[in-house]
Amino acid sequence: MQTRTDPSRIRVALVEDDLHFQHAIVSAIAGSTDIHLIGTAGTREKGLQMLSGSPADVLLVDLGLPDGSGIDVIQAAQVRWPQCAVMVNTTFGDEAHVLRSIEAGASGYLLKDSAAATMLQEIRSLHAGGSPISPLIARQILRRFHPGGASATPAGIAPTNKSTPPAAGQGQDLQAQLSVREKEVLEFITKGFTADEIARLMTVSVHTVQTYIRRIYSKLNVHSKAEAIYEARNQGLLRT
Amino acid sequence: MYALAARLGTLLFVAFGLLCHLPVAADSADATPTVLALDHAQWVALPGHGLSVPPPTFDAREPPHNAWRWEDTALPAALRQPASATPMQARAPTDTQTTWLRIAVPATTTLAPGQLALYASHVGTDGTVAIYVDGQLVHRAQPQGMLWNSARKPLWVSLGTPTERTIPREIVIRLEHTTGTQVTLSALRLGQTSELRWRYSWRHWVQQDMPAMFSAFFLAIGIFSLMVWLRRRHEKSYLLFFVLSVLCFIRGLHFYVDMQVGDDWFSWLTVNSIFWLFAVIHLSLGLLHRQRRAWLTLATLCVTAAMAVVTLPLDVNPMLPLSPATMTVIFRVASVLGLSIGVAGMLGARRRSGEAMLVAAGFTACIFMGALDWVLQSNFRHPQSWLAGADNPTLSLAVLGFLFNNLLTFAVFGALITRRYVGALAKVEQANTRLADRLNERESALAHSYAMLREAEQRQTISQERQRLMQDMHDGLGSSLVTALRVVENEQGRNDVAYVAEVLKSCIDDLKLTIDSMEPVEADLLLLLATLRYRLSPRLQRAGIALHWDIADVPRLDWLDPRNALHILRTLQEAFANILKHAHATAVRVGTGVAPGGVTVTVTDNGQGFDVARALRSGGRGLANQQRRASALGGRASWKSGRDGSQMMLWLPIERASA
Repeated sequence: MQTRTDPSRIRVALVEDDLHFQHAIVSAIAGSTDIHLIGTAGTREKGLQMLSGSPADVLLVDLGLPDGSGIDVIQAAQVRWPQCAVMVNTTFGDEAHVLRSIEAGASGYLLKDSAAATMLQEIRSLHAGGSPISPLIARQILRRFHPGGASATPAGIAPTNKSTPPAAGQGQDLQAQLSVREKEVLEFITKGFTADEIARLMTVSVHTVQTYIRRIYSKLNVHSKAEAIYEARNQGLLRT
Repeated sequence: MYALAARLGTLLFVAFGLLCHLPVAADSADATPTVLALDHAQWVALPGHGLSVPPPTFDAREPPHNAWRWEDTALPAALRQPASATPMQARAPTDTQTTWLRIAVPATTTLAPGQLALYASHVGTDGTVAIYVDGQLVHRAQPQGMLWNSARKPLWVSLGTPTERTIPREIVIRLEHTTGTQVTLSALRLGQTSELRWRYSWRHWVQQDMPAMFSAFFLAIGIFSLMVWLRRRHEKSYLLFFVLSVLCFIRGLHFYVDMQVGDDWFSWLTVNSIFWLFAVIHLSLGLLHRQRRAWLTLATLCVTAAMAVVTLPLDVNPMLPLSPATMTVIFRVASVLGLSIGVAGMLGARRRSGEAMLVAAGFTACIFMGALDWVLQSNFRHPQSWLAGADNPTLSLAVLGFLFNNLLTFAVFGALITRRYVGALAKVEQANTRLADRLNERESALAHSYAMLREAEQRQTISQERQRLMQDMHDGLGSSLVTALRVVENEQGRNDVAYVAEVLKSCIDDLKLTIDSMEPVEADLLLLLATLRYRLSPRLQRAGIALHWDIADVPRLDWLDPRNALHILRTLQEAFANILKHAHATAVRVGTGVAPGGVTVTVTDNGQGFDVARALRSGGRGLANQQRRASALGGRASWKSGRDGSQMMLWLPIERASA
């Protein structure tokens, strides 16, 4: 399926074992003018092999592959195709799948039941630097970076949230900390505002908001890497 | 414990027996070269005139002394004039005799002159004692007559000065006593002070000081017992023990008190203390084996009272003077009473109480020993061969008797007290251990039941969750999928692919909301609403409805658990579904606010409105469902509708009594 490289077109690669979804993507991309599909793989093995080829701009990965987890593909893509933005295919967009993928290096997620147009929109958005996020995911991210901290509501009516067991454990000690603006963005998302509304509320452009989200995701990735190193050091698996 | 007391008593008895025999043995051993043993004497008994002052000098060769008929005797000796015609009871107290003893000092070359002393372990008379050395009066004892402790006082006479060059040649002892009574004298020893002194000290200590010590010990323990009783009034045994110790103390005073034997309050005390002692012991025995021998108690108390009255001192009650005759009667009465109490006590205690048995047996033994003591004290009995034996065991026996009494009593009651005290400590320890054990037991039982309770709770929670999810899926997902199936199977429906797709889409939405509801929202209602918006946005966009997100911050709702979260989501989902299906609106506004005691969520659309009352009545538009869910949340759902649009308001409480 290799076509001539066209710099103006978004190159998409797909690692997915579900044939129906694969078909949906393929036909959606076929119906677009600015995106084209450069490769598909149905297994983890094939996916990793694909990574030794020429890089794509967007990589769509399914986590539940028949011969392993798509997480490995995501991590390998970070190394092989550093400029590629990875998107994970998920049925519900639930926290477990999405956050795991983002910690592994993904930059977004795609709901499998989306309409064709939505899917293309998401791909374009991702390529442009934005990242999809849901209120619940935003809440989870906040918790990871501030294990005991409150999402301080501006109105100040709500008192501190009950401290939850830290997902990352050492959020305060690690280098990746959310900036004030980033925290603000996440809190707005948890209140249900869309990117446009947030942009208006924070008096920035929509693109800026999306950049914030992308940055938050990469911090999550760094955060989780650092945490892995910390844990490994703790357990004596690494020599400092 | 009783075996221990018995062993202790026996051991002490034997030990002290040996101890006391030492001076006796030493006394009877052959004297060392520097100490002369004088064991031969000549004696004569003459009638006297009361207790008189001894003449300052005495010369046996001078008249009238040279006419006396001296008889030979060996020392130690118990001397008694043959019985006179007058019976003892009829004699007056001034009817006395004087017994003279002449002891010649054998010539010796071994005894060096100098600081000499004369020592005799025992001089027994109920009158005066006078010692002449070489005709000169050098020592007087008991000038007013016998003292209470005379029988236990060894004789010590210092002779000469350090510079004297001569050794005494003759020693004469003058004893005055009541006619017909017996006088006793032990072997005399003459020697250097330094050689003899230890004998005197030893005997003095064993016979005088040690009994005093024992009495004092006993009294001390008695006082301790009194203190205990004062704090524990209900245990009378401690009081009885105190009384016992006081009486024993009084009874024992006469052993070492330098008081004249006479008919005064001291004598009264000494005599009556025996009866009081008997009475107390009888009561103690009764207490120990909890058996009241009424007749014996009565007899004891009567005799005791009678004795007390009858033997009152001479100046108070001239009726019955304390004479040797009366003393014998009293003694006999006391013996009988004491023995009956002892035997009765032993019989009564045999089966009931080991403690009482010990006390009764000890008491009976003490009676016997007391008899010996009395014998020595009174000198009133006919001499028995074993009493006047060569080694003078009388004294040692008597001393032993007294010591035995005290020791036995000491041992018995000491054992009882120790037993109680140690028992009390052991009980406390036991109780503590038992308490600790019980506590541990209870703790582990409690922990166990807590664990079971938690398990049961957990199981119930899981089962409840399962049921909840099943119910939700049954209501929404299940029926929708079955509907879709029917539609597809239906001839008409096979063409209506869009409808089936819609049904399936709403199924997927339902599922997503269910899953979302299970994520923790941490009491944040806005997060819930945000999630709803996130899930419903595609639909609204497809329908071309603009959504105004007009929310404000609201307080925490601590009762937002998955069940309640799902209720809220479904209620609002239903409201949106109504708008999508019926309202034909172009804009929807979602707002939140604070109301008294709760928060409000309003969904306002600009559609065509509907008849609220009729919808509520007929059950269309699922309003009833929404109301049901709202009240399950503890809140209320209300609707307003007009031509320009409708508004649904959901009121939720901030606090809920039970989630």
